[in-house]
Amino acid sequence: MLIRKLFRTAWRYKAQFISMIIMITIGVGVFLGFNIEWKSIEEDTAEFFEQTNYADFRLYEETGFTEEDIEAIENMDGIKAATRYISVNVSLKDTKKSVALNVSENYTVSTMMIMEGEEYAKDADGIWLSDRFAEENEIAIGDSLTFIYQGMEIHGEVVGLVKSGEHMICVADGNQLMPDYESFGFAYISPEKLKESLGYSFYPQINVISDMEKTELEEEVKAVLGRTILVTAKDEHTAYAGAKSEAEEGKTMGSILPVLFLAIAILTMITTMHRIAANEKVQIGTLKALGFRDRRILRHYTSYGLVIGLVGTVIGVVLGYEIAAVVISPQGMMSTYFDLPKWPLVMPSFCIPVIILTVVFLTLISYLSVKRMLKGTAADALRPYAPKAMKKSIFEKMLFWEKLSFGTKWNVRDILRHKSRSAMTLVGVVGCMLLLVGGLGMKDTMDKFVTMLDEDINTYTTKINMSETADNEEVKALAESVNGDWQASAGISYEGETIALEIYQVNNDKISFLNKENEQIKLTDDGVYLCLRLADTAEIGEVIEFSPYGSEETYEVRVAGYIRSLVTECIVMTDTYAESIGIDYHIGAVYTDESAEDIEDSSLISGKQDKHMIMETYDSFMEIMNFMVMIFVLAAVVLGTVVLYNLGVMSYVERYRELATLKVLGFRDQHIGRLLISQNIWLTVIGVVIGLPTGFGVLQMLITSLISEYELSLNVGVLTYSVSILLTFGVSLVVSFMVAGRNKKIDMVEALKGAE
Amino acid sequence: MKIVEFKDVTRIYKSGDHEQKALDGVNFSLDEGKFVVILGPSGAGKSTLLNMLGGLDSPTGGTIKVNGKDISTLSNDELADYRASTVGFVFQFYNLIPTLTVYENVALVKEISKNALDPKKMIEEVGLIDHLHNFPSELSGGEQQRISIARALAKNPKILLCDEPTGALDSETGVLVLKLLLSMARNYGKTIVVVTHNQNIAKMADVVIRVKNGKIKSCEEQKMPMSAEEVEW
Repeated sequence: MLIRKLFRTAWRYKAQFISMIIMITIGVGVFLGFNIEWKSIEEDTAEFFEQTNYADFRLYEETGFTEEDIEAIENMDGIKAATRYISVNVSLKDTKKSVALNVSENYTVSTMMIMEGEEYAKDADGIWLSDRFAEENEIAIGDSLTFIYQGMEIHGEVVGLVKSGEHMICVADGNQLMPDYESFGFAYISPEKLKESLGYSFYPQINVISDMEKTELEEEVKAVLGRTILVTAKDEHTAYAGAKSEAEEGKTMGSILPVLFLAIAILTMITTMHRIAANEKVQIGTLKALGFRDRRILRHYTSYGLVIGLVGTVIGVVLGYEIAAVVISPQGMMSTYFDLPKWPLVMPSFCIPVIILTVVFLTLISYLSVKRMLKGTAADALRPYAPKAMKKSIFEKMLFWEKLSFGTKWNVRDILRHKSRSAMTLVGVVGCMLLLVGGLGMKDTMDKFVTMLDEDINTYTTKINMSETADNEEVKALAESVNGDWQASAGISYEGETIALEIYQVNNDKISFLNKENEQIKLTDDGVYLCLRLADTAEIGEVIEFSPYGSEETYEVRVAGYIRSLVTECIVMTDTYAESIGIDYHIGAVYTDESAEDIEDSSLISGKQDKHMIMETYDSFMEIMNFMVMIFVLAAVVLGTVVLYNLGVMSYVERYRELATLKVLGFRDQHIGRLLISQNIWLTVIGVVIGLPTGFGVLQMLITSLISEYELSLNVGVLTYSVSILLTFGVSLVVSFMVAGRNKKIDMVEALKGAE
Repeated sequence: MKIVEFKDVTRIYKSGDHEQKALDGVNFSLDEGKFVVILGPSGAGKSTLLNMLGGLDSPTGGTIKVNGKDISTLSNDELADYRASTVGFVFQFYNLIPTLTVYENVALVKEISKNALDPKKMIEEVGLIDHLHNFPSELSGGEQQRISIARALAKNPKILLCDEPTGALDSETGVLVLKLLLSMARNYGKTIVVVTHNQNIAKMADVVIRVKNGKIKSCEEQKMPMSAEEVEW
């Protein structure tokens, strides 16, 4: 019988029940969705790395490692596997396309996963090509390809389509943020074929799998080979670092905001369950008077919370997986960045206790709400729940109080009388506001980031990549002939970290530099500039020390200032300063306004990139961000609507009798409606006032935790503020009107029966 | 002049297929300034009658004229204005706004009535001037009902409608409230309509209307109504 009552009661409070279920669904859904997202990135990439024997460390020697070298490394303690390796960018003959050509000599490290075609063989003559590159360029197994490497041609037939952990993020170099399989892919050939094509073996890299610490490995290698070798750990390699930072970014997005959703859902539940229990107090008393034991009644009412919790959570879990699948799936947004064979969704293990705790907590909330109503004798329980008697608030002692209209007094007292309801309304508005400012501000910031990169920093039209063997003097001559600026990059060790040293000649302003205030500055020739990420390490005027990789030498330089480096973590200096301290460098790129077609190909040039092409790669990156922001905005609106509607209806139900009295006295419907709406508007105004700075604060936190990846400059547009405020008010007003519209249906006769 | 005229008034409540005739062809009229008691057992239709008169409900058939104006076909807003200007209510359970003080509860009517009387004066007349700034919950039932009378009269209505005004009070307080109600109404020259099942109150009335099964059973004038003191409670 009580089960039947459960359903009938649920029907009676359908607005509350449904809104609570929606809240829990959204809370759990967003929480799970964002957490599954980063966890799946972590797990899926880790599994793929494992399957393709992703290297933990990479040793570099420009002149190439010998057979003795690899033998010595392989025999070292703590090395699980090692191979000589080469990965060079080669162009596809008669096209603008290029691929990274790989050879793993022992094929124990940095291997590939064959998706289709022939298995790998050490002496095979064929080419294993990236399946994504093949698909984009309509290349099939059996097609012949010709690569050009330093003027030499490498012919071969495509024998297999593959993926590889090494190229999970398939970009040509550090300046390309997103893969573009149409123009750049990767390929593997056998060591035999490399030797045959070049006429000799050349491996400038040794890739190893090892659990050693980097410093430990460096020392061991030095001891074994008798010279210092440049070693990079996997977190300095694009694929691993990209996956890691993507997961970190997901963690950031999965932290504050989704937890907030869940918290608001639970808080609303507390208020609502309390109200329902209060409204049901007479029924609770009746059951008690009928002779039902407290335990039975408790169990009955507690089951409300349990049912709501379970239904909401189950739908929420489904929603969470759906949200995650938009990003993590073969066609998902992340697939434009990562090239993974499988995209299983993985829920972080801590989510299960969180979900269970949520359900338990919701059940507990309804238990406690009912417990309060059951106190005392059956007679006590039978008396209807009486809200606290009115007491005068501090406002009433103030002079202006008497001047307020009756409606204002009524509303102020009502807000103070039902503090928890009012507080929850505020939380709803603040939450809505905060999510909007946080979400839209994030988008503003990312947009600004791309615009700054496009307009303020990369002021060139074409980037010419120089081949590794190009002579600096010849490159400088080339740069001069195209009115270009040039850049040299090298890995350095600074404060125990591997970062980039970037040396620029910027006489033609094809590359610009911004200070912290985003103003363009001119680099001076009297010191180095630290990127903002490194700003904490040294004051301006201080002398810092760094050493280039593969060299024992240390350089002492003066810090001349800080610059905002949007992409790389780096130390920047001018060519003049570089020469004054006598550091060696190799020019890697020339920036010019000449268009790519007008620049004559030569052995100096390994590739040319249009800036628009480089910038376009950010589009798909922005798409993921926009999707997340959209989820936030959507969720904020739903959340705001549900919370406010739920509380609005509650407030209406609680004041039903008062409203009926006003109606009987002769107040018109609109007049009563205005009273109801004005209360909501006040709370919304207060909520917005609190929500704006809080949202800004949350955004600041989000940006700060992302700063290790990009040097973002917090940017919130006027539009974001306006949209956030308008949307919040819009939600609040629409809900108010929906609730106020109900007062037309007040049954005066019915409402006035029975005691207060 | 007839202040109230009911002509063939019926009120049918429908719930599903079931129809219930709460009022079935009611005809009567009332003179201005009279004290009218509508008497009948519960379920007879007396509250429905009062609600019709008060503009809380509209008849299914027939016409109701108050002060010469047909109120049976008014829109919601017109009915609200009618309630604001023409009738004052006193309920069994007082129906004061819990979040407004005594003064504010009475002053409330100034928001809707143009010719409202001075709230303070009304509170003084019901003898609660000392409780001006108390909340209703701080008052006894009798006191609350007195405030409710002050509020009803403050609108300066033509007719005062009372639904079991002493129903929630003990008999002693009930008599006091009733006396106050009568003397105030007489002073201000109001027509009072009281709905009750209490025979004793009927003894004080100028006109007694008996209702049964949704019909008027009798409508008689009492030439010599008793005063509250004379009635044996």
